[in-house]
Amino acid sequence: MNTIKYLGLLLTLVALTSCEKYLDVEPRASISDDQPIFDKASAETALRGVYSALSDGGYYGTSFQSIGYLSGDNIQWTGSQSQVQEFINHKVNADNSTINAAWIAIYRTINRANNVIKRVGALEEGKLSTALQNGIVGEAYFIRALAYFDLARTWGGVPLITEPSLSQKDNIGVPRSSLTETYNQVISDLDKAEALLPPTTDRHRATQKTVWALKSRYYLYQKNWVKAEEYATKVIDDTNYKLLKPYNAFFANDARGTQESVFEIFYSTTETNSHRGQWQPQERGGTRQWAPSDAFVALVNDPLIGGNRNVLVAKDNQNRWYGNLYYRNPATDPSYIIRISELYLIRAEARAQQGGAKIGGALSELNAVRDRAGLANTTAATQEEVLLAIEAERRIEFAFEPHRWFDLVRTGRAAAVLHVTDPNRLVLPLPAEQLLIDKALVQNDGY
Amino acid sequence: MFQFTLLPKRARLVQTILCTAAFLLAQHTLLAQSNQHNIAIRGKVVESQTAQPLAGATVHIKGTTHEVVTNNKGEFNFLTGQRLPVTYSVSYVGFDVTDTTQVSDALFIIQLKPAINQLSDVVVVGYGTQQRRNLIGSVTKVNPAETRNIPAGSFDAQLQGKVPGVQISSNTGVPGEAVNIRVRGATSINADNDPLYVVDGVFINNNTLQTIGTGGKATSPISDINPADIESIEVLKDAEATALYGSRGANGVILITTKRGSFNQRPTINFNASHGWAKAAKLWDLTTGPEHATLVNEWWVNTGTDNPSLNRNFANRPFRPVSEGGRGLPEEQQTYDRLGQVFRTAQLQNYDISLTGGTKTTRYYIGGGFNKQEAILRPIDFNRASFKVNLDQKINDKVQVGVSNTFTRTFRNQARAGDGPAGGLLQAALHTPTYLSPLNEGGIPVGRAGFDNVDLLLQHYDVSSVSLRYIGNLYLDAEILPNLKFRSSFGADYNNYNESEYWNTFLIAGSPNGLATSSIGQFTSLLNEQTLTYRKHGGKHNLGVLVGNTLQSDVYTRTASEGRGFANNSFKLISSAAITTGTQTWTKSTLASFFSKVDYGFAGKYLVDFSVRADASSRFGKDHKWGYFPAVGIAWKADQEQFLKGIEPISTLKLRASYGTTGNQNGIGDFAARGLWSGGTPYQGSAGTAPQQLSNKDLRWEKTTQANVGVDLGLFRDRLNVEFNVYHKYTRDGLLLVSQPATSGFNSYWSNAAEISNRGFELVINTTNICNRNFTWNTSFNIAQNKNRIEKLDAPLKYGSRDLILQQQGSPLYSFWVYRQLYVDPQTGNAVYDDVNGDGKITTGDRQIYGSIWPKFFGGLTNNFNYRGFDAGVFLSFQYGNKIYNHNRFFGEGGGARDAARVILASNFDRWQKPGDITNVPRTDGINVNNYRDGGSRWLEDGSFLRLRSLSVGYTLPKEATQKAGLQTIRFYAVGTNLFTLTKYTGLDPESSAGSGQNEQGIDLGTPPQPRGIQIGVNLTL
Repeated sequence: MNTIKYLGLLLTLVALTSCEKYLDVEPRASISDDQPIFDKASAETALRGVYSALSDGGYYGTSFQSIGYLSGDNIQWTGSQSQVQEFINHKVNADNSTINAAWIAIYRTINRANNVIKRVGALEEGKLSTALQNGIVGEAYFIRALAYFDLARTWGGVPLITEPSLSQKDNIGVPRSSLTETYNQVISDLDKAEALLPPTTDRHRATQKTVWALKSRYYLYQKNWVKAEEYATKVIDDTNYKLLKPYNAFFANDARGTQESVFEIFYSTTETNSHRGQWQPQERGGTRQWAPSDAFVALVNDPLIGGNRNVLVAKDNQNRWYGNLYYRNPATDPSYIIRISELYLIRAEARAQQGGAKIGGALSELNAVRDRAGLANTTAATQEEVLLAIEAERRIEFAFEPHRWFDLVRTGRAAAVLHVTDPNRLVLPLPAEQLLIDKALVQNDGY
Repeated sequence: MFQFTLLPKRARLVQTILCTAAFLLAQHTLLAQSNQHNIAIRGKVVESQTAQPLAGATVHIKGTTHEVVTNNKGEFNFLTGQRLPVTYSVSYVGFDVTDTTQVSDALFIIQLKPAINQLSDVVVVGYGTQQRRNLIGSVTKVNPAETRNIPAGSFDAQLQGKVPGVQISSNTGVPGEAVNIRVRGATSINADNDPLYVVDGVFINNNTLQTIGTGGKATSPISDINPADIESIEVLKDAEATALYGSRGANGVILITTKRGSFNQRPTINFNASHGWAKAAKLWDLTTGPEHATLVNEWWVNTGTDNPSLNRNFANRPFRPVSEGGRGLPEEQQTYDRLGQVFRTAQLQNYDISLTGGTKTTRYYIGGGFNKQEAILRPIDFNRASFKVNLDQKINDKVQVGVSNTFTRTFRNQARAGDGPAGGLLQAALHTPTYLSPLNEGGIPVGRAGFDNVDLLLQHYDVSSVSLRYIGNLYLDAEILPNLKFRSSFGADYNNYNESEYWNTFLIAGSPNGLATSSIGQFTSLLNEQTLTYRKHGGKHNLGVLVGNTLQSDVYTRTASEGRGFANNSFKLISSAAITTGTQTWTKSTLASFFSKVDYGFAGKYLVDFSVRADASSRFGKDHKWGYFPAVGIAWKADQEQFLKGIEPISTLKLRASYGTTGNQNGIGDFAARGLWSGGTPYQGSAGTAPQQLSNKDLRWEKTTQANVGVDLGLFRDRLNVEFNVYHKYTRDGLLLVSQPATSGFNSYWSNAAEISNRGFELVINTTNICNRNFTWNTSFNIAQNKNRIEKLDAPLKYGSRDLILQQQGSPLYSFWVYRQLYVDPQTGNAVYDDVNGDGKITTGDRQIYGSIWPKFFGGLTNNFNYRGFDAGVFLSFQYGNKIYNHNRFFGEGGGARDAARVILASNFDRWQKPGDITNVPRTDGINVNNYRDGGSRWLEDGSFLRLRSLSVGYTLPKEATQKAGLQTIRFYAVGTNLFTLTKYTGLDPESSAGSGQNEQGIDLGTPPQPRGIQIGVNLTL
């Protein structure tokens, strides 16, 4: 009997003494956030984490992209989720889940970029070469610039966060900056990135040339036609970038990273792009929630308007049209952020806006894009005609890329084309979800 | 054969009125006048109600070593020369142990009462057992035999309406899927609200290991337990009862005791077989093809009228003659029935066999069971094969060892019953417009409206899972001193959950070239426990002391892979896929606990106990690992007081009170307190890392304090029993995934930020209405109310599709957040909504909380009848005042706006058409514009119901006939389930809920209803 007594005592003792150790369980799939970046390898993996945020389903994976094209006039909705319909109808409610998803994903990207900028920038000398350190920080600056650019053109001025969040109290309750301040942040980050990055060519990562391309777009939005033209020219003049013929050469047959591409997001079988699921018909494993609108199908199939861009749409086994830009299985379709044709059309528009002698230059850029699509030269001649022709060209050229809505808003044509007469509706509402939990945020007028 | 004839008339009258307990008493007193003399003793043991002889009962003469076992006729003889009177202690498995005294030499009839819920019952409580009459806490004991035949995969689903204060909702008609079970409300938003399940001392996992998406509900690990192996189920509800389970007690504790043999019991074989059929009581009422077309045309013209720029008019309506480029006139449309294809009459089979018995030093229970239940929705089924061995061995007078073992294999054919397009079976059948042909113009089967083709789905569905489960316990009991007992036990709960899917190219998920997945999840819980128990009876004092400790570790691992790109549909394994990917998960938590309980009773009248448990969890911050959970309970057995003894009708009166604290940590991540960076963010095929979680070093236990006051009243010799409890639970430091403004780069972090209260009452009334030799009628009624309220929550939280559920301070959990439709304007046909903020517009600001999933009251009513060999049971369950969102109707009443994308329910035909029409279905127009707004209250319905949960009849063959066949008992029975449901709910089942998350309850979408069923069976004992 004594044996049992002692056994019991022993067990209790063992239990007591080993308690602390017993309760100490370390995770295996994560590490502590104390010092996650400490050398070259950890700096590089952290930077890939920033790109991964950019590729997220909430950002360039699906949600943010969809805001850009659903809000245009090329898409109809066939599913059950009315948050999609809200964009198409231009009646987006503050509780729309897509805008919240995009808002969250963009700020997540910013926080990751802030971590890299701060922590990699602070690495002691000798941990990695200065060139590499500059490159990593420069890429993070570029991504942050893109993120604020996307926030500004979607919502207007937003809270500017430039430091990483280390505790629950960091980076909350920050009031919105003005639209100008937000765009200033964009150009300031782009300037830094331009200085830090090498002038190499990489279509999946930011380089100095990627910065030029985004700067060109930035100045277009700022209506700084001279600078927009200047930076577009820098990229167009680089022989690494070409308008590929025919149009589908940049995406068909599982193409990726073609010469057409200035910046596209890389996806693989393990990092998939959820885009295709929305576009492809059921027989191809999708939902076809987003289908090309009847009007767009008519345009793109018009040989005088769509040209060989009619490959953007196809018919399923029920005789229904579907969009076919994102089609791969597994879903490894790149998300196209900047293509060289955009820079041609930016330069065309910038030149057309400058008018006078530059109209001719504008026409040649526009016709380059038309020629690639298998179309004859435009008949537009006056400045006004050329600008409209560029607008029409962009509608087809970037049909399923996030441009149409932003284009019509920045050119002030949303009222005429999309019948969005309420100027308050030219920016989207801040997500109601965020307003609830952050009292510093103020909703856009009219929502 | 019966002894009535010997008794005076008056006694006979007493007997017919009183129950059997009274019978024995009467017999005793009336025969007391007999003389004492030396005589041979013989007697007979019979069942009290049916007077059937009981063979194999043990008759022991108290104060001696004399013991005999009754023969086949229930008779016994003692050949010793005992002098009368002698006192017997008679025991027989399944019956109360009865002490009785023989005073005359006539054939002495001893009546045994079956052990049912009686006050003399023994109740299993935390780390021990207790006489019901000495209970302080609020504990409900359920006899699983009453509900065992309800066709549900798991025993918890069968308990609906049986346990006061425990709300059990079977949210789906798929057998073996998780039910929603809430003991006295819910205490947490993000931590688990499920009770703790303890099987033979092992804390088992009740969270599903399913990883395949079936569109909502998931499989229940509780269904791995064969209900036939369960001896008793105790539900512990108040702090006194649950505090010994400390950190896991806040949501109640369900103790499951499985069957064991008895020492000195001859081997008994029990065999049970049943077969049943189940069918949906009703299906959805859909529009026909012509009706659908009519509504779509109407919507087309209406939207054109509202917005001329759309250029929609009668001439270009969608359903116009084909010659005009349309889809044909409405009356030319066909109607295709898909629901009829997917619903079936399900077959149910159940076989259980067991062997129980024991020698002087060994006792055993060996049970085997096979249960196959088809769901009414093809091709889903549930197949459980279980094997159980419980063994106890006395090593000597003081030491006993034993094991409990449960092995189960549960195989399921699964299908996506719930939400989602790819593979969504019920969705495809219900939500595809009826006018659309399953074939395209070329005669090839095609899916419509974004869903799969139903024929192809039924033909090619290939999703299955196998759960292998072992639950076991090994214990050693030793009596160190006469009053001091030591127990050490090692327990394990191991679950291997193996799932696979294959989607071929005919199905959306497998298009264009096939998809296969395979996943093996393993959950291992290891438990070690020591207890020391001291109990001393001395005079009027009764003292018990318990101390113990527990160590528990839970490890979950999962390895999964996926293959895409198959050569053709003959290749189904991932190894033959062109592209394969894999993933791995590992997570672990540990818990160390010490606990103690002291109970003291004085004079059999005054009871008090005090318990405390200290738990340390690996999940919390360094300084907050330990939580302390004390409780105190007192009871006064007033019926033992002299001044009540004379008051005739009162047979039992006990007043109870308890107060204590319990905790909760389930449902949060194992590393929830830490600041983490994780991998899994690769780019360009190389590893990436990123911030994953903000740390909260202050993360600590969620604590619930509960006060309970109760009274137990028994009248007329306990023929009428009333138990009444009032409780108040208040949860502080509620674990919450606090929303973090996105500007921080994070969405949320774990915090102790919520406070929630639950208050309510429970009333149970048990009556024996008639009890005589031939006929008994017992009634049990229970009703409970729980009022839930979120006392503190800084920012409201939205859940569910279309944010239908809002958790907000001041409202109950799971409140519906809707645009309240007031009426449909008879002039315009437009829906008029409650403009809450009065700004003249209907915006998000006008959404309001309007009802919740909580019923105002709920309960059950059971009536059991026995007439000679016949028995019958009628069991009703009910709840009143809860709301349910009919999401199927939301989709199906799109007013034609969804056109070819969704079915239209027949109810949409009640729409407003012309000025003066009075209806609550507005004029057809665009979706989410106004009349068919997401989150409209029109689809929020009253979910109250009264349901005939089961109706059973049985017949036990007379002993004579049975014995000829060499058996002890034969019982034939039939059980009808859910034979009727009274409800205003327009969906199929007011208990339906599609979501799998606890915060997404009460939304009915694509859920097969609980079926109406009938089963017939036979139960043999030999």
